[in-house]
Amino acid sequence: MNKINRNNIVHNLYRYIPITLLFVSVLNESDFSNLGLKYFSFNFSYILIFYYSLKKKESLGYIAIFIAGLFNDVVLGAPIGLSSLMYLILCVATSYLRNITLTPSLIKDGIFFLITILIINSLLFIILNFIFGFESNYYEQITSIIWTFLLYFLFSTMFDFFDHYFLGKNNVR
Amino acid sequence: METSRDDFVIAIRSAFLKKGTQQRFSLLSLIFFSIVFLILGSLNFKVIDYIKKGIKEIVYRSSFIVSGPENFLKDNYLIINNHFNLYEERIKNIDELNYLRSRNLSQQIITLENIKYKKLIDDYFIGNNETVAKVLIDKQSPFLRSVIINKGSKNNIELGMLVLNEGYLVGKIVEVNFFTSRALLISDINSKIPVSLQPGDIQAIMSGKDKQEGVLQYVKDKNLSDINEEKQVLTSGAGGVFKSGIPIGVIYADEDFAINLDRVVSFHKDFSQLKYVKVVSFSKENNLLDLSSKRNAQKIENEIEETNQQQETLKILLEQKQIADEIRIKIQKENDILRNESVRLKNEILLEKKNNQQNINQKGEIKFLEMNLVYGHKCRKSIFNRLYKVGTTEYKECVLNKGLKKIDE
Repeated sequence: MNKINRNNIVHNLYRYIPITLLFVSVLNESDFSNLGLKYFSFNFSYILIFYYSLKKKESLGYIAIFIAGLFNDVVLGAPIGLSSLMYLILCVATSYLRNITLTPSLIKDGIFFLITILIINSLLFIILNFIFGFESNYYEQITSIIWTFLLYFLFSTMFDFFDHYFLGKNNVR
Repeated sequence: METSRDDFVIAIRSAFLKKGTQQRFSLLSLIFFSIVFLILGSLNFKVIDYIKKGIKEIVYRSSFIVSGPENFLKDNYLIINNHFNLYEERIKNIDELNYLRSRNLSQQIITLENIKYKKLIDDYFIGNNETVAKVLIDKQSPFLRSVIINKGSKNNIELGMLVLNEGYLVGKIVEVNFFTSRALLISDINSKIPVSLQPGDIQAIMSGKDKQEGVLQYVKDKNLSDINEEKQVLTSGAGGVFKSGIPIGVIYADEDFAINLDRVVSFHKDFSQLKYVKVVSFSKENNLLDLSSKRNAQKIENEIEETNQQQETLKILLEQKQIADEIRIKIQKENDILRNESVRLKNEILLEKKNNQQNINQKGEIKFLEMNLVYGHKCRKSIFNRLYKVGTTEYKECVLNKGLKKIDE
């Protein structure tokens, strides 16, 4: 009985890990998208949102993503609503991919992710530059896109592993 | 073909409109909310402004709390690092201290002189509002390099105030909330600062480039690369946004400086290590005077005005004197010319007179000779008469009188 209770607690805690990770990554001072390295930066929020809205839709609610986007804009000093819009577009893409996919494959997911972040970052660049007059470095954006795409595979494997570790065993029992 | 198109439409519609379990809003409605936020926010819509301010106050504090553990680790790492470097740093600091002590006095004198001269040209600014603030969040975004400080409009922070750290320029306030504010760092690509390069007094506009570097975008003096020496970069005060003379960074004169087209400015401060900053605003010095001082000032002003008038009169008189002198010199010159002319004419007259006299004498001679021919025999001494000897004055008179008879008469 105790074991079952403990497993339930772990299970419940694990359910909140994605959302906690999302808010911590948004609110935390250290940002992977600006580590100060010239040729290395990636957007962890994009990976997290894409993975969990694709694989575990119930882990990240749309409202939570919307609010996280608002928070991200406030912390970064970007126009409020912009990150929310980008995150939600990412969710639309994952929802579409989920609808059309019969047999999931990491490679296909990765390529779809690349196309989506290319579209999102282009949109972001256009909105920031041409509407709000923010100057941003084009090459930094490209670097960030490439690394985000490459690291998606790593994080996806990691998340899968944790899923298997915490929930897989639990489900068996 | 038709089927696949239908599938696509169905999948898209489902993606936008289908709500998952425990989802209250569809993606479409949330996207719509985001766009509304964006548009109304950019139009400074009041309700959105209030919501934004509310969110900011919450998020800044939350972010500070969330970043707590990480900052704790970072601080401890720095402390340990400093601890290991303590001995080397101490020796270095002692050397530096001795060097700086020797320079301090001359610097003080220069500062005082600088103040005096700035007062003279009415360009002396004094800090009229100083607030020390703690850096809450130092999250460097790819779009905006800024820091959040824990002082807002409640502490009289206003837009455009300068942010300094140990006297060096760090940035300026670009967003003010009730309890917090955002300072745009000078390392941000959007920050454009009018700077002056010393020595040389070259004017330029600096923009942020990297964490620790800025770049000169517009340089008034195109030959900057020809001057191969280290340059201090200070605010120029042009445009009135920044007070002049605040140190920013340095352009090192290294080997590749001559070909360094980027003109990189290395900042004095490391912006990633900011903990406390000073937010200041400057205004021109305005002395508040009491009644007697005001009277004295008025008196002095009057005296100055009187002196000015006298000076003006003196100036006019001097000008008049100068004109009179010029006229006098001119007249004197003319006088000299005329005098010379007069002397010349007098000489000419004398010469003429002499000539006339000669002519007259010659005429008299001619007349005498003519008459001598006619009347000479009547006056000339001979054996038969006792008249005058030829060549004597009596003979001449006799001839001119046409003979002896005339003399008798």
